[in-house]
Amino acid sequence: MVLIALVGISKILKEPNLNKQPNGKINKRKLTLTTREDSYCICFNAMASPCEVLIETESETLAEQLGKAVANEVWRIEDKYSRYSSLSACSKINSSQGKPVAIDQETFLLLNFAELCFVLSCGVFDITSGVLRNAWRFDGSDNLPNKNQVNVCMTHIGWRRVVYDQDHITLDEGMELDFGGIGKEYAVDKAIIIAKNFTTRPVLVNLGGDLSATSPRKNNQAWQVGIEHPGLVKKDSNKSSDKRLIVSLMKGALATSGDANRFLLKDGKRYSHILNAQTGWPVENTPHSITVVAPQCIQAGILATLALMQGSDAEAFLTEQGVKHWAIR
Amino acid sequence: MQLTTNKKQNKKTEQKINIKAALTLATTALFGGVAQADTPEEDSWEFDTAFLLYSEVDRVSAGEAILNAKKTFSDEEVLNLKLTIDALTGASANGAVAQPNVQTFTRPSGNGQYDVVAGDTPLDDTFHDTRVQLNAQWTQPIATDYSASAGVHISKEYDYLSIGINGNLGIDFNQKNTTFSIGASYFQDTFTPEGGIPKPFASMLIGDSSSPSWDDDFAQTRIGTEDDKTTTDMLLGFTQVINRRMIIQFNYSYSMVDGYLTDPFKILSIVNNEGLAQDYVYEQRPDQRIKQSAYVQSMYHFDTTVLDISYRYMWDDWDIESHTIDSRFRIPLDGGSYIQPHFRYYQQSAADFYAPYLMQSKFELQRPEFASADYRIGEMTAYTLGLKYGMTVNNGHELSFRLEYYHQAPSDAGFEAPSVLTNEDLYPAIDAIIAQVTYSF
Repeated sequence: MVLIALVGISKILKEPNLNKQPNGKINKRKLTLTTREDSYCICFNAMASPCEVLIETESETLAEQLGKAVANEVWRIEDKYSRYSSLSACSKINSSQGKPVAIDQETFLLLNFAELCFVLSCGVFDITSGVLRNAWRFDGSDNLPNKNQVNVCMTHIGWRRVVYDQDHITLDEGMELDFGGIGKEYAVDKAIIIAKNFTTRPVLVNLGGDLSATSPRKNNQAWQVGIEHPGLVKKDSNKSSDKRLIVSLMKGALATSGDANRFLLKDGKRYSHILNAQTGWPVENTPHSITVVAPQCIQAGILATLALMQGSDAEAFLTEQGVKHWAIR
Repeated sequence: MQLTTNKKQNKKTEQKINIKAALTLATTALFGGVAQADTPEEDSWEFDTAFLLYSEVDRVSAGEAILNAKKTFSDEEVLNLKLTIDALTGASANGAVAQPNVQTFTRPSGNGQYDVVAGDTPLDDTFHDTRVQLNAQWTQPIATDYSASAGVHISKEYDYLSIGINGNLGIDFNQKNTTFSIGASYFQDTFTPEGGIPKPFASMLIGDSSSPSWDDDFAQTRIGTEDDKTTTDMLLGFTQVINRRMIIQFNYSYSMVDGYLTDPFKILSIVNNEGLAQDYVYEQRPDQRIKQSAYVQSMYHFDTTVLDISYRYMWDDWDIESHTIDSRFRIPLDGGSYIQPHFRYYQQSAADFYAPYLMQSKFELQRPEFASADYRIGEMTAYTLGLKYGMTVNNGHELSFRLEYYHQAPSDAGFEAPSVLTNEDLYPAIDAIIAQVTYSF
């Protein structure tokens, strides 16, 4: 959803991080370094999104080292919390069949965070709600699930049934955790911590539209961030490029939550992929997309998601919270 | 979890502020814990260097250089090496009292004598020493929530050798908000003063040090060439994170020192009823001291500033009791620099055998079991006022400067002062300046 124009010379960095897949296939992870006027951009793919690290420096070595450190961290988080990789910590929890699974401090802290989000949203946001994808497929079609399918899923949902402490977690059989709602934003924040420890130069980390900057650019200039939304483009196909929303960001984070291509349309009614974990059904009248600014990316992401869950009151919710945001309906 | 409950209760009334604020707190919790573990510092050395100057008006000056090297290994093992070199020169009070006439003393080595003018507190100006000290400490996690630490210490001066070992166990509870620690250390010190160990209460030999019988006479006042002491310390600690802003720590320590605790360089004046010195005798202290202390420290983090206050109560079986209040207030300035005012107040009561001088009449009637005129175990108050300025220089290294003023005022613990001594300064104050430069890289 966010693209920052890339102009310049690119080179593929050596030493790609090799990610061994469970089937023995080696997934070549690579970084591309692009030189720009007074900065470098390191691009890579992670979490099914294009990712980039922008750093204002003349030192290619610094850019390369930082890019590698950030990419390795993002890949580490992806490998650990992806529900698609059978080797991930997340998959180990999900395949535990009711038995306790050992967790580390990082996972414990993430679970605490998820718990707070559950409480703040009165149960609408729930990291155990991922199993709803067995009933809902948001492919733009009109294939709504029937009530029974949804109800079957609902029997495997409920954060309150998750038992965990600092060392272990126990899930009821059939239940699953899905860190998808916070993982990417968390990775952005972790990458920013690395960047800050690495250098005092201005750095922006963008993981598929969720992004954060360590400090303003040279001479206190803001970072210009373009937010693209397919909905916008469709409405005004004649001048799509002009409708790209350009946002200025001095420092801090920006996260976007929306239904982009992920919705169902039946009898003229649009069903957003934002599901209410309490009912198993989509929240009605949500904006297509909400972009929120916050000091940390994970905060921005949750605020955007919680706003969408307010349906028609999404913008009012954010205004009331005093949160800077852009909504697209 | 407490936070969550609070937010829930307030939700209806104050939902507006709550979500944003709650998320801010939750984010701090999320990154606060993991962030430290992931710093790229692992497997690299961190160095702190410091140079300190301590200068007492008319008395001792000390220069100290410290090099601290710390290496953190990837599995949270930490090796810390610290080298300290001190050089002391100047004059130190020998224990005798000021007199209305010139006084002559023999140097502790027996080689030569020195005169002190009328009205001056007698200082031995041959005080100089260089000390090299090395500490090595290894810390590592041994199980979830358990960390262990062990270290060795060696310190060498011209006439002093100290060897020590220590061990410490830390246990975290309550999601690392509570830490309980237990530690012990053991030191073995050997003292080989130049001139040997003086005989307690023997008169200081004064006269012609070039006479043929001098060495034999001087040897009569000695009981040996060296002596030693052992120190066993035990420490219990408890640290509690009260909330995101406040941390509080309690320590209790028990220390047992056995062996030669006397200062071989210190003497006492034996005065007659007018207060005129008739003799100087070597001091004698008990060969055991049991010291206990209770300590509480609290750090409070305001929005930008940090207040650090501590109080220590120490008591021992020599009847010394002391109170120390120490406070620092860190104020950040623009660009990563900070200033930190420092105030310390210290008050101590005298040891039961402390005496600024001994009355000849009483001394001849019955020699005390122990006596010392060392001002450091007398009644006193002291305070320190200081300011530290720290700044971040290129590459994020920290450079800091500290300047402090120290004032120590011994006081009269109620000793009778015979006529001539009422005109002398029996409890001279000490003023000192401390300057330190520290560079971390």
